[in-house]
Amino acid sequence: MISLRHIHKRFGAVTALDDVSLDIGTGEVIALVGENGAGKSTLMNVLYGLYQADSGEVLVKGQPVRLRSPRDAIAQGIGMVHQHFMLVPTLTVAENVVLGREPSRWGRMDMDRACQEVAATCERFGFKLDPRARVDTLSVGSQQKVEIVKALHRGAQVLILDEPTAVLTPQESDDLFRVARGLAAGGRTVVFISHKLREVLSVAERVAVMRRGRLVAEVRAANTRPEELAALMVGESRVPLAEAQTYHPPGGEKLLEAKELRARGEDGRPALQGISLEVHAGEIVGIAGVDGNGQRELAEVLTGLRTLEGGGGNLLGGPLTGLTPAEARRRGVGHVPEDRLWRAVVKAMTVEENVALGRQTQAPFARGLQVDFAGRRERTAALLKAYEVRPPDPEVPLQALSGGNQQKVVVARELDAGPKLLVVVQPTRGLDIGAVAQVQAKLREARDKGAGVLLVSLDLEEVLALADRIYVFFEGRVTGTFTRPEFDEREIGRRMLGTHGEEVAHG
Amino acid sequence: MGERLRAVLPSVFSVFLALAVCWVFIALTRDAETATGAYLQMLRGGLGDWAQYFESERLTVLTRPLGEAAIKAALLLLTGLSVTVAFKVGLFNIGAQGQMLVGALAAAVAGAQLQLPAVLHIPVAILAACVTGGLWALIAAGLKLARGVHEVISTIMLNWVAVSLVDNWLSVGPLRAGAGTHLSITGTAEIATSAQLPRLLGEMSRLHLGFPLALAVALAIWVWLSRLRSGFETRAVGLGSEAARAAGIPVVRRTAQAMGLAGALAGMAGAVLVLGTEYRYPGGLGAPYGFDGIAISLIGGNHPLGVALSALFFGALRAGGTRMQLLGVHKSYPELIQGLALLFVAGRLVWLALLRPRKVAPVVPTRQPETSPEVPRA
Repeated sequence: MISLRHIHKRFGAVTALDDVSLDIGTGEVIALVGENGAGKSTLMNVLYGLYQADSGEVLVKGQPVRLRSPRDAIAQGIGMVHQHFMLVPTLTVAENVVLGREPSRWGRMDMDRACQEVAATCERFGFKLDPRARVDTLSVGSQQKVEIVKALHRGAQVLILDEPTAVLTPQESDDLFRVARGLAAGGRTVVFISHKLREVLSVAERVAVMRRGRLVAEVRAANTRPEELAALMVGESRVPLAEAQTYHPPGGEKLLEAKELRARGEDGRPALQGISLEVHAGEIVGIAGVDGNGQRELAEVLTGLRTLEGGGGNLLGGPLTGLTPAEARRRGVGHVPEDRLWRAVVKAMTVEENVALGRQTQAPFARGLQVDFAGRRERTAALLKAYEVRPPDPEVPLQALSGGNQQKVVVARELDAGPKLLVVVQPTRGLDIGAVAQVQAKLREARDKGAGVLLVSLDLEEVLALADRIYVFFEGRVTGTFTRPEFDEREIGRRMLGTHGEEVAHG
Repeated sequence: MGERLRAVLPSVFSVFLALAVCWVFIALTRDAETATGAYLQMLRGGLGDWAQYFESERLTVLTRPLGEAAIKAALLLLTGLSVTVAFKVGLFNIGAQGQMLVGALAAAVAGAQLQLPAVLHIPVAILAACVTGGLWALIAAGLKLARGVHEVISTIMLNWVAVSLVDNWLSVGPLRAGAGTHLSITGTAEIATSAQLPRLLGEMSRLHLGFPLALAVALAIWVWLSRLRSGFETRAVGLGSEAARAAGIPVVRRTAQAMGLAGALAGMAGAVLVLGTEYRYPGGLGAPYGFDGIAISLIGGNHPLGVALSALFFGALRAGGTRMQLLGVHKSYPELIQGLALLFVAGRLVWLALLRPRKVAPVVPTRQPETSPEVPRA
């Protein structure tokens, strides 16, 4: 139905797409996989009219078309659901779906008709959504469905889903896969952009693999193993996926003993409602949970960035109450925060200045009241080399580095301080496979050297791969604790949704 | 092209463009000859009348204009540094005017009321001005830190409070020189001779100690920001306050310190004005230098040494501007040039785009190909 022919796209000196040709048939689920930077999103953005190809053409039903904007793409029956939803949180489902093409009567929006139309679309494709519900009251999974309904409502025949499961629980993902298969069975086409290989193989019929701007392979999902796909993606014959891991019993010294922690979130609502947990030396403790269930606030409390409102405990030989960021660092807490550019680094400063951040008063970064330029340069150069940061230049502004290399700088800095307890939040989000493997290896290495690691990640696969013990968070409470090797993905998923002990409701 | 050069070029281009635009404007309203003549007069007024010097060998035709330029430059430099220091911690100090005003009054009072030997009197009077200006700025810093009041709003309003307080009440009321008598004198009492900044060239020029003082201060600020730990922390707060907080930097203290220092620098400008040339607080100072500080700082690239260059240049232009009147050209043209230069500097993104090397430097990727366009999060 759609053919991309010899698409080329360059950004400055970087070739993002190099002679990519891909046919997308009717009624199939096709997956597009590749590392970050491989060109998956760029290719789909060309198809959705967000980028214009430098050369090559797009054919829809055999006819060449010009896609200069998403408007053109939508007119051709192409819809896209972005990783970050483009919904107005304070509007209702119906309002969001009809936004931009509202049915009106006498110049006023006809809300009843909008609701009827949206309800009809939902019914036609088998979605259970209340058109009058406000979007910000919905779960992430339901918000994603609103996005899909929005695209279908505009007549999308081809639906592009960009990393759709990144924010979903396993149950919500399964639900999404069912939806995708249903749409394909009904004659629509679903294009799945992902780098989670197992789920790709379970949902798609055909998988297109991209590497460094080229389409390197197209395979049938039915007779392909994840290892083969991974090898195609990175271009090497053998790639350690989630490497086999042995359990490290918590034999070490107790670094953190938190009791009944209570704190409010940024919006003033109670985020931690009585969290108790422990971290010992020499173990990785994973926090699993759907986004917004108190994980972020826990990390902030432990690093002195958020005020504790109740509960307390002991952190590295001192009280948790009244902790400041400076005091946390003094006691030996390292922190890899979630929002790198906001909280971990100062992007306009140089790499070496960022490496000094947090230890700017200590050797080798300071001598007396002065900055120790030579010491700082030397230490930074050594770290950049050890962590294979590209480019290994201490003097460039940090913002000149790619996201993965920025994250390596942050991890290098925090581990170089020799932390006793390392609080890491979403350490590999947005990194390519190479960087992910390296960051994860460094976390394991820190653990093996006797540090305690508290890992918060929304990617359950990552928590399962790294953690020795797991606490599951739901609405600011611990709803389950698991110890390797008794990790039960299904059970963890249920506890992430707070539905353990009851029937899991699909909807 | 070196990074440093690329940082400086937009300012230089902007200044030349402003000069050219004003020349064209004079040429259009008068004629090209007058415009060129006026510029030459401005040059003589700001940098000395060298032609006449070689003719007559009278040194004063050089020292007088240069001294005036230096006096103006000292005031512009101090207020410019005030804006720069606040900028480094991430605050936009529009309040240098008010801070300078209260500082000037403090210096005038300390200069007139105290009786001390000059070695003590001058530092004490300057210190009084710095402390007063600093406290004035800390009001804005306190409101910002405690209540989140935007410093642009609070410093602007504090300017008017300062004008009302000092110009409309204190200097014409309780602190007026002739207060209690029937004498109709404007301004405060004259300061003691011991508080006057010594003239460096005696009778040959009005050049006084304030000029080297301002230069030394600029140097000190530069050393602080670039070489000291606390300067590094201050810059980190300015460029990424949350990252600074997470790194354990005392964000509140650094912010208050920088804003207090900014106020102290503006206050010092007030002291230099009163102790150096006015010798008392004149009735209704208005202190326009505060707003000039914004332009000087931005044209100087918010770098202490750049600000010094910018202040020297516009100090000379200002001093020379009065001589334009000899040809009937209004003396406010230097201010117009300064304003236009600021406007062009503000458009420096355009300059940088024009100056961008055609070949992409290997270390600076122009764009991440996989980054999806910025989209609002649901």
